[in-house]
Amino acid sequence: MTQGKARTKAQRKVLSVAAVGAAVVSAAVLFWLTGALRADPPAEVPASDPAEAEAQKTLKVIDALDAYTAPDLPLKRDDTYAHSPVDVVPYRAVQPFKEYFLEQIEYTGPGRDIPEPEHVDTVRIGFIGPLVPTVSVAVGGKSHEEEPLGIMMFRGAQLAIEEANAAGGYKARGIPFEMVVHNDNGLWGASGNEIITMAYKENVWAVLGTIDGANSHIAIRVALKIEVPMLTSGDTDPTFIETNIPWVFRCISDDRQQSYLLVDYLYRKLAFTRVAVIRPSSRYGRFGVREVRDGSRRLGHPLVIEMAYKGGTEDFSLQLARIKELAPEAVVHWGNPLDGAHILNQMRALGMKQPFFGCDRHVTDNFLREAGENAEGVVCAYPWNPDRKDPLLDAFRLRFRVRFGVGPDTYASHAYDGMNMLIWAIQEAGLNRAKIRDMLAYRTVPFVGVTGEIPMSACLDDLGDVFLTRVEGGRWKYYSREDLGIPRGYIAPRSRIPVVSQSPGSQGAQAGN
Amino acid sequence: MRCGLLPGTLLCLVLLAVAAGCQGGGTSPPAPTAAKQETAERPSAKAAEAGSPAEAAEPDTLGLPYVYTRWEQFTTKDGLPNDHIFAVKAFGDKVWVGTEDGLACFDKGTRTWRSWKEADGLPWHVVTAVDVDPKTGDVWLGLFGGGLCRFTGGRFDHFHQLNSGLVNDVVYGLCIQGDNVWAATTAGASRYNTVTQQWTTFTEKNSPMEEIWNYGCCAGDGKVFLAVWGSGVLEYDVASDRWKDYLDPDGEMEIDLYRDDGLVHVITTGVSYVEKTMWVSTYFGQSRYDGRHWRGYYKDETGCPSDFANNVKARSANECWFSTDKGPGVLMDFPSDTWVKYTTDHAANTGKAVIQRGTKVVKEIPLGPTICHPFTIYIEFDGPDVWIGSSKGLAHAIGEGYYAGLRPASPGEPLPRAHSTTTAKEVTQ
Repeated sequence: MTQGKARTKAQRKVLSVAAVGAAVVSAAVLFWLTGALRADPPAEVPASDPAEAEAQKTLKVIDALDAYTAPDLPLKRDDTYAHSPVDVVPYRAVQPFKEYFLEQIEYTGPGRDIPEPEHVDTVRIGFIGPLVPTVSVAVGGKSHEEEPLGIMMFRGAQLAIEEANAAGGYKARGIPFEMVVHNDNGLWGASGNEIITMAYKENVWAVLGTIDGANSHIAIRVALKIEVPMLTSGDTDPTFIETNIPWVFRCISDDRQQSYLLVDYLYRKLAFTRVAVIRPSSRYGRFGVREVRDGSRRLGHPLVIEMAYKGGTEDFSLQLARIKELAPEAVVHWGNPLDGAHILNQMRALGMKQPFFGCDRHVTDNFLREAGENAEGVVCAYPWNPDRKDPLLDAFRLRFRVRFGVGPDTYASHAYDGMNMLIWAIQEAGLNRAKIRDMLAYRTVPFVGVTGEIPMSACLDDLGDVFLTRVEGGRWKYYSREDLGIPRGYIAPRSRIPVVSQSPGSQGAQAGN
Repeated sequence: MRCGLLPGTLLCLVLLAVAAGCQGGGTSPPAPTAAKQETAERPSAKAAEAGSPAEAAEPDTLGLPYVYTRWEQFTTKDGLPNDHIFAVKAFGDKVWVGTEDGLACFDKGTRTWRSWKEADGLPWHVVTAVDVDPKTGDVWLGLFGGGLCRFTGGRFDHFHQLNSGLVNDVVYGLCIQGDNVWAATTAGASRYNTVTQQWTTFTEKNSPMEEIWNYGCCAGDGKVFLAVWGSGVLEYDVASDRWKDYLDPDGEMEIDLYRDDGLVHVITTGVSYVEKTMWVSTYFGQSRYDGRHWRGYYKDETGCPSDFANNVKARSANECWFSTDKGPGVLMDFPSDTWVKYTTDHAANTGKAVIQRGTKVVKEIPLGPTICHPFTIYIEFDGPDVWIGSSKGLAHAIGEGYYAGLRPASPGEPLPRAHSTTTAKEVTQ
């Protein structure tokens, strides 16, 4: 297959940006990618690089397959789903008849036998993210508010592409990686159309994206049908990977993980008993807060109230009046940072002194600016620890700042890791979508990125550590569970409770959720 | 008192154990509890996969299902425009096939293929759904990213987001219901009345769609059923204009709390309704609902080869075919839980049918090649015949002498004789 020469304006722009970027990036900082960027795998595997050794082993198996055979490689198996403590799992008093996501889903279809194209001008990787909002009749305004996140995500991915190209491109043959950029405008399932365009018209080998949970779902349904690997670095909706699709990956800890830590902090550490939630009525708000709601109830402290608001709202007096009436001990907001800042400011104006907790989206300079002094003491869940002392992270920060004039945020950092994971898989597997999928899916050695270790669960989700961050002296300071001495619930292996007999048709009675 | 009873109890247990041992495999053990059943039957399931002769030789007195022994395979070599088959519709003497790169039509009378690509006027090359309007003979196509298309009188009429009321161009499934064409799209369902030319959109705003990601649809008995990814199955009653939703009652993504209490999962991929019975496929297991009782199917406890099913097609309330990623899982007789699995060994150019009662292998029948590829995507009935679309070609199972349910088979009585398998080319010649 030879990819067409015609490029969109956006693609040409990306390519020109890539050329400039390549000039300013030092190849010396690319040791993270050393294994990935070798021209050909060495005959002898260095014992010091288990990821490379494993990749070669996988490649040996999948290279030998015809179209009709699935790889006979060990599937990942987890003892528990998402490290869930026993007291926050649903229906904990009953042994579920079936537990999903404990065993890695296989891809048994054909494709591994498709030879690599004889010639490509560039190796294309798709990018879809919320870069430019459009006007939406449905929501009565902007189609989304996530463009600051999308732009940072774009920059992180772009830097990874530029660095890979500076190091020699695809298998060091001078064939550049090209990021094919698509805007996720969030309207009427448009992300599905974008993936179709990328896969069928632009011949991408894999896709990175997106942030919004609903749009990501639409995109992965298409990716599954077309059979192209898709990795998200920005969607923390737990249900993203709870779809059992063998083509889907995530390199950021999800809201489930973050919520578990927040819930532990609220109830096990701070011993609150009355917590209120306020959230947007969007899918992010509904699904993001779900584990906080369920976790609170399961730990014996149901939320005193959960108030929703419509996107774009600036006056939260109605919601806050209801919350104030119930005198909660703490308020959790699960939504975008500016909403959070407005809510916090209005809370304080109403004389509400409750501590304020939030999701990772709050952790921005915008929130600090908008909330001002009120931000002090705010605690949020966070998928990684940017305060970590790590030369890899420090070097990335420096390069990012040199390249873009600003420091990277979480979306930039995770997109950088995500794009590097895709590049790694392509370098190892070659230009074959099924094999690229296999390289990611069968890797058991955690990826080491600027956001830390990224261990993949059986359902191909990032099971890395999560953190809490607190505003102290006007800046975010990050803490691990251990730093804060937050107790953890007991995480049991699969048979977590004695088996309760169930015969066909039995319904059991005592299964409080 | 406890000490006095213990020896007696132990004695009873020993006697029971001896008695059970003497019965051997001739008598079914008491029905185990669900949890125990899963553990107890796993070895059997593994043996079934391995084709254990010991299991295969076990006598069975319930009777045997029809087994398809005559197969033919079609690929691009035979005239298909592409081997990645997304949809099949048999209508009259034609079989319409939607592929990843074009539309194909097989004329059963002349046994010839004809195909259409974009150069031939097809608006978009990825055809994910096909149905035929029985009143007009119009062929309706769901295009993956290209909207809807009506193939009539030699021309393609194109309906998409920008020129019609179609809610989204990414169409996963479609069905004809009366004068209406229903399209399951990635952003809701659309209904197009071919007489009044009116479009109706169904989303979370006017139906109980928790999510709007429609995947499959079917119509029958005055109802339309939508398989909605994340929203289970929605039933639309045409006469009353009312909706009913079917969900996984536990409401959790990571578990199925109780067996047979509802859908096994809300992420559904297909639905088929026939004889007042609804069959549903998911990537987690399969479900059947007869209006009163639910039944869930997992590979560990049935003859279904995998829990990952791309689609489902039911022939009756008792017979259903699931297109799984490890071959078709065919429940041939619901009351007796009798399954048939079809496999092909491409290297050896042979195939096999494995008859199972639950996880217990009743019979294995060596065959020639059966399905084209284990990753099956679509099933279509054609009278007694069955068409199976896969990622690597289209298989045709010829149902000569087909019968529903089971036929008594006394011990030692041979199954219907296995016909020799012929290739498409041989049949054509």
